Amino acid sequence: MKQLQLGIESTTLANGLKVVIAPDTTAPVVTVGVYYKIGFRLEPQGRSGFAHLFEHMMFQGSANAPKMQHIKLINSSGGVLNGSTSYDVTNYYEAVPSNALERVLWLEADRMRALKVDDENLKNQRDVVKEEVRVNVMNQPYGGFPWLDMPPVAFRNWANAHNFYGDFADLDAAALSDVQAFFKTYYVPNNAVLLLLGDVKAEEGIALAKKYFGDLPAGAAPPFADPSEPEQTEERRGNVEEKFGTLPAMAIGYALPKRRTTDWCAMALLDQALHGGRAGRMHREFVLEKQIAVEADGGIDDLFGYNGPTQMTTRILHKPEFSSEATVAAFDAVIREVQEHGITEDELEQLKVKWRSDYYATLEGGRGGYMPKYGLMHLLACFTLFDNEPQLVNTILDGFLAVTREEIQAAAKKYLRKEKRAIVFRTPVKASAKEAA
Amino acid sequence: MATRTVEVATGVPGLSAERAVTWPKRTKARLSNGLEVVLAEAHSIPKFHGELFFRSGNAAVAERAPGLAEMTATVVRTGTAKRASRQIEEDLRRIGADLSSSAGADTSAISFAGLSEFAEPLLGLVNELAREAAFPEAEFERERRQKLEEVKLERTQPGFLASERLRKVLFGAHPYAQVSPSEEQVAAYKREDLQTVYRESYTPENGLMLLVGDFDSQAMLKSVEKVFGAWSGKKPGAKATANPANPRGRRVYLVHVPGAVQTQILAGCHAITRKHPDWVKLGLTNSLYGGAFNSRLVMNIREDKGYTYSPRSGVNALRQHGYFSVSAAVRNDVVAASLTEIFYEMDKLRSLPVPAAELADAQNYLSGVFSMGLATQEGLLSQLSTVALNELPDDYLETYRAKVRALSPEDLLATARKYLDSANMQIVVVGDRAQIESQAALFGELETYDAQGKRMD
Repeated sequence: MKQLQLGIESTTLANGLKVVIAPDTTAPVVTVGVYYKIGFRLEPQGRSGFAHLFEHMMFQGSANAPKMQHIKLINSSGGVLNGSTSYDVTNYYEAVPSNALERVLWLEADRMRALKVDDENLKNQRDVVKEEVRVNVMNQPYGGFPWLDMPPVAFRNWANAHNFYGDFADLDAAALSDVQAFFKTYYVPNNAVLLLLGDVKAEEGIALAKKYFGDLPAGAAPPFADPSEPEQTEERRGNVEEKFGTLPAMAIGYALPKRRTTDWCAMALLDQALHGGRAGRMHREFVLEKQIAVEADGGIDDLFGYNGPTQMTTRILHKPEFSSEATVAAFDAVIREVQEHGITEDELEQLKVKWRSDYYATLEGGRGGYMPKYGLMHLLACFTLFDNEPQLVNTILDGFLAVTREEIQAAAKKYLRKEKRAIVFRTPVKASAKEAA
Repeated sequence: MATRTVEVATGVPGLSAERAVTWPKRTKARLSNGLEVVLAEAHSIPKFHGELFFRSGNAAVAERAPGLAEMTATVVRTGTAKRASRQIEEDLRRIGADLSSSAGADTSAISFAGLSEFAEPLLGLVNELAREAAFPEAEFERERRQKLEEVKLERTQPGFLASERLRKVLFGAHPYAQVSPSEEQVAAYKREDLQTVYRESYTPENGLMLLVGDFDSQAMLKSVEKVFGAWSGKKPGAKATANPANPRGRRVYLVHVPGAVQTQILAGCHAITRKHPDWVKLGLTNSLYGGAFNSRLVMNIREDKGYTYSPRSGVNALRQHGYFSVSAAVRNDVVAASLTEIFYEMDKLRSLPVPAAELADAQNYLSGVFSMGLATQEGLLSQLSTVALNELPDDYLETYRAKVRALSPEDLLATARKYLDSANMQIVVVGDRAQIESQAALFGELETYDAQGKRMD
C-alpha cells in the first residue's frame, strides 16, 4: 500500500487570513479558493436563504472590479470560476492557467476589501436565485428531497431547521443594507482561508498572498450563534407533498457523533457498509434482493465539510405496492441486523480498501468535470477553518483504517436508535389521490 | 430593454508568460484479436481509470427496440459465468474499485476506476463482464421492472421531456430520435434480445480500451494482453441509415406539464460532427454565444435581465450527425421575452463581426479550459476518448489550441451564419400550457404534447 504524503505549506498573515498552499506541477494550472467560515446554518433569522443570495452578490462587483468583470476576467484568462454555499462555509474558487495567478488573487482580494453593489444588482440576483430554486426544487420531481425537507423535521434549533435555499418572502425582504452588514461581519480576512493548489511554489504563493491580501484590515471576530440541539428523546416524523413524481419516498436520518472522534470514524465506515453503492446493505436489501425500492441510497453528506449538528440519511423511493410502514419495517430490519450481528471481518476489510480508494479520488477529484483539485481544496479549507490543521489531509485516513468491528457494532447500537432519528415521507399527490378514490 | 453599460475594472494585473502545455505520451497498440488500446500515464494519485468502449450503442439496434443497448449494458454487470451479482459487487469493493456499464447512442461502455495495486484483478473482472456475461433470468427481470419505474420517473423531469421532444423533431425517422423507450417497449424486452446485442457488439474488433493513471505503460500493456489476448470476435456489420430530414422553418413544440412553476426552453438545429473541419470554429462561436459564463446569452438573460439561473448553449456531437442547442429554465411570464433574447443574440452573431477583444477573450477561454483536462486522470481519459472514438488525428490535443487562436472575426461570422440557424430553430417549451402557450406561439406554428408524448391539439 502506497502512503500518500502531500506537501502542504501554511501560514497566517498579520490580519488573520490563513493561507494554505499545495504545490503540484502536473499541469500548468492553478486552483485558487477563498473559503469564508459562514454558511447558511448561521445566516440571520428572518433572512432564510441569505447566505446563498449573498454568495451571488459576491460576483456583482467589488471595489475596483465592477459587475460582470469577475466573470469576464477569469474566463478571458482561460479559466473557470464559481462559488457555493453550504452549512458552515461559503467558497469562491477559480481554476486558471498558472500565468493568470496574480490576476485571480487581485480579484479575490478586491472583493474581500469591499463590495460595490447596488439595488439593481440585488434585484437581478434575487430573480436569478428564485429561478435557481425553481429549477432545482419547485419544478423538479423530488426537488430538495431530502436536504430541504429533513431539517425542519429533524432539528429544533432554527440554525439547523430553517429553509436554507430561502423562503421567497425572506429573499424579497433582503435589502442592500443586509448585504453590506453581512459582508462587514463575516467577510473579514480573519474569518477566511486562501488556498492555492497546483502550479505554484510555496514561497511564491505566500509572497503573493502577502502582496495582495496583506493590507486588508482585520475585522472584529464574527459572532456565531450557538447551533447546538436540545437532546432528542423520541422519533420525529413529517410529511411533504410530492407534486410531480409518482413513487412514494422517505428519508430516514440519524444524528451523528461529533466530528474527529472514534465514534465518528466508526459511523463513517458504518455509513459505507449501509450506503456504499451496489454492495451497500441498503441497496442490496431494498433494490437487489427484496425489490421494495427503485432507489435506496444516501449517507453522510460532506463528511469533512460540516461543523455542527448533522445526520446520516437514507433515501428510499419505493414501489407503491409497498406501504410506508412496510418499507420502514424493512429498513428497521437492516438496522437491527447490523446492531445484533455487526459486520464481518471480510466486509470491514473491503470497506477499508474502498474507503482508501475513495479518499484518493476525493483528493484528486474535480467538480462537475472541471475545476481540478476541488476535493483537496475543500478538505484543506475545512481542516483549516474548523481544526486549524491543514496537515490533517495526510493523516485523517489513519483513523478510519483503524476502526474495528466492535466499534462499528457499538456505534450502530448507540446512534441508530429510533429516538435519535427523524423520518420524512414525501408522498405523491397523484398516488394518494388514487388511494383515496 | 436598455442594457446597462459595462464598466471596466481598474488596476488588473496582466498575465505573465504562459507555461507550455505538455500532453503525456500516449501508448497505442492493437492486440492480435483487433482490440485497440490507448494508454497514458498520470501519477497524481495511486489509482487508474479505464474505459472499455464498444462502437455500437442504442442507435445501432434501435430498429429492434429503443434503449436496447442500454438495457444490455445494465444487465451485463449482474452476473458472469463465474460470479453472481452480489459477488461482483463485493469483489469490486474488495479491490477499492468503481465500475459502471452503460450505453449511449453510439457506444456501449464499461467504465472503471481502482487502485493501481489491484489493476490486474480489476481488468480481470472487466474481461469477464465483456466476454462471459451470463444474463441471469432473475437479474434481467429485476432490471426490467426497475427500468419501468425509471422511464415513468423521467417523464416527470422537465429537462428530459424537452430533450426527448427536440431529438424527435430533429431526427424524425433516424435512430437518434429515440432517447428512451416507452413503458410498453420496456415490457416487451426479451433476455434473448439482450444476449444477441451482447454477442454482436461486445467483441474485441469492435472495442477500444483506454487506460489512464498511475502505472507503467509497458507493464500495463502486457497486463492487458495477458487478460484480454485470448478473446475473439468480429466487428458487427454496420447498417447504413438514411440521413434525417433537416426541419425547415421555426416551429414550436409545447410539452404540457400542468402546474409547472417554470418553463424549460430548449431550441435546436442540425449542425456537425466532431470530425467536420468546422468543428473548432463552431466550438468557439458557441462559447461566445452561450457556452461560457461570460458569454453573450448568459450576460443578457441572467446577469442583465434575471430571467433564468442556468442558460447555456452547446454543440452535441453524435457520431453521425451533430446538433446545436440552447436551453434555459425561465420564469413563466418571460418565455416570450427570453426567446426574443435567445434569437437576438443568435442573429447578432450572424450579422456583425465579433469585436477583436471579445474574440481574444473567447480564444483564451477555450484554450485554457481545454488544457484543464490534463490535470486529472478522469479529465485526461475523457480527452483521449474524444480523440479515439471520433478518429481524430493523433496530434489533436497538441494542435487544438493553435487552431482556436488562428480564427478571425470573419471565420466566426461565417460559422454563425452557417450553423446558428435561427430561421430554422426547432423550439421546445415544457411548462403549463395555460401560462405559456400564447407567448410561445409568437415564435412559430405550435403543436402541443402531453408528458407521455401524445399530441394534444
